[in-house]
Amino acid sequence: MASQRLGEAALSESGPSHHHHHIPYSLPHMLHHPNTSFIRNQEGSAFDFGELEEAIVLQGVKINNDETKQPLYTTVRPAATLEMFPSWPMRFQQHTPRGSSKSGEESTDSGSAVNTLSTTRLEPDSPISRKTSSDHRLPPPQPPPQMDTGSGVDSPRTGGSQTQPAAKQAPEKTLRRLAQNREAARKSRLRKKAYVQQLESSRIRLTQLEQDLQRARSQGLLLGGGGVAGGNISSGGAIFDMEYARWLDDDHRHMSELRTALQAHLSDGDLRVIVDGYIAHYDEIFRLKGVAAKSDVFHLITGMWTTPAERCFLWMGGFRPSDLIKMLITQLDPLTEQQVMGIYGLQQSSQQAEEALSQGLEQLQQSLINTIANGSINDNMHHMAVALGKLSNLEGFVRQADNLRQQTLHQLRRILTVRQAARCFLVIGEYYGRLRALSSLWASRPRETLIVDDSSCQTTTTDLQMVQSSQNQFSNF
Amino acid sequence: MHNNYYETAGWWNSSYNYPAKRSVGTDPLERIDRMASASAVVMFSMSTCCMCHALKRLFCGMGVNPTVYEVDEDPRGNELERALKRLSGGPSAVPLVFIGGKLVGAMDSVMASHISGALVPLLKEAGALWL
Repeated sequence: MASQRLGEAALSESGPSHHHHHIPYSLPHMLHHPNTSFIRNQEGSAFDFGELEEAIVLQGVKINNDETKQPLYTTVRPAATLEMFPSWPMRFQQHTPRGSSKSGEESTDSGSAVNTLSTTRLEPDSPISRKTSSDHRLPPPQPPPQMDTGSGVDSPRTGGSQTQPAAKQAPEKTLRRLAQNREAARKSRLRKKAYVQQLESSRIRLTQLEQDLQRARSQGLLLGGGGVAGGNISSGGAIFDMEYARWLDDDHRHMSELRTALQAHLSDGDLRVIVDGYIAHYDEIFRLKGVAAKSDVFHLITGMWTTPAERCFLWMGGFRPSDLIKMLITQLDPLTEQQVMGIYGLQQSSQQAEEALSQGLEQLQQSLINTIANGSINDNMHHMAVALGKLSNLEGFVRQADNLRQQTLHQLRRILTVRQAARCFLVIGEYYGRLRALSSLWASRPRETLIVDDSSCQTTTTDLQMVQSSQNQFSNF
Repeated sequence: MHNNYYETAGWWNSSYNYPAKRSVGTDPLERIDRMASASAVVMFSMSTCCMCHALKRLFCGMGVNPTVYEVDEDPRGNELERALKRLSGGPSAVPLVFIGGKLVGAMDSVMASHISGALVPLLKEAGALWL
């Protein structure tokens, strides 16, 4: 089944046109091996009761008559109106007289029984995608909109030169009942087909949504918002992600403002307004993070709100202030001696604070480990309650870390002149922008080419093999 | 600053306070004030509090040896805790730091003070740090 689904997936990716290529080839197999055809019937032909009838009948017929292929190819599906009378044209010639005994069985079936029968027969095949049966087993010249009608109506009992005499001899009442049954069966088949199509399109939409979500996440943005399918993001986390995305847009705006302000050589007073605005912009994200820490501290501390590259360097739910200072020292020349002292002092104090917080968090982790490890079977709930209490301290640590980041930025502002501060914040913004861009590039790097390293080569080859093997399945037809 | 409130030999060497024999009948705020004035750097803490541990590590890292009162080991710890919480003005009673008898604040205040460069002069002034 799995390989069939692969094949089906490959085909569905290659587009509906492929179905048409393969389908005609499947027909002879279906006719000659009606049992296996139910399984091979995976390009989306709707298996329905009419086919079952015909297959049962033709099983017997094929022994007698090799021309049984004929009717299915030449069958034209008439209009949707209920055909009550069995006078079919000569093309249904090859149907067996045996059909009348089958018709006896069929006539006792109610419409719902027909449904049940086709449903139960279909169960093993139902997960496999079924395209409209209009795509299925049609001779190219005639794509009929309702093959079901035809297949349903083209029951072996109705006409065919061999069976025609037999059909005419069958009682009128029975024939009418049969026709009614056929109609009911047809309607239920159509309903089922519509439902399956709905399921299929929903499935495709779902996978597309998941892909979009994955892409958006890897680019550090969340499109859409709370209540995303998959349930692996809390509403607090989703809300924060949206706010963060908005904050990033604001960041771009602030950055371009800074850039143009520096190039325009504005007065210090004007520049100060812009720089203070940028500080307030950072204060805002720390405030938002504080709110988010209350509802979903794990979302923050695991860095799910950032891009992968940023997550690599994550420290307690955000950037490490001492790393930022280290990066800035090289970018901030020229500085006065006093400023240099101030910057190095800031680096040292932030390092000390980081170290202290890290050790505090480590103690929290150790304490949590002990609590969880020492939970006995009898005392489980109590230990869980204690563990929960300890976990709640995480919020405090993320808050203190954000506080440290905020204070670091404020101190930078105090040490530097207005113009230096403007350049400094521009550098910071560009730095993180590049880090985020790195994440996007990484996420969208080409994986299909064979030029890249061995690991991605392997993936490529595997993909190709998968597609090829699934196509081979159908090349036999 | 000496206070005959604390008479145990080796008091200045120990980091932990055992006030059980003293402080009966005193208002918690008064007790806190007395305890805070007794050392250059005083930290109210709880043995189970990890943030207190972080603050202790911060001071140690700077070469400061604070006097630490574990409130949960005090027989009248509950009322101390309530008073401390009011003083801190924040969500938790501990850690709370006094330098030179004056309230500096909780963890965020101490860190902000350290980052801004104000903490070290304060410590030096109180005699807790020597160059």
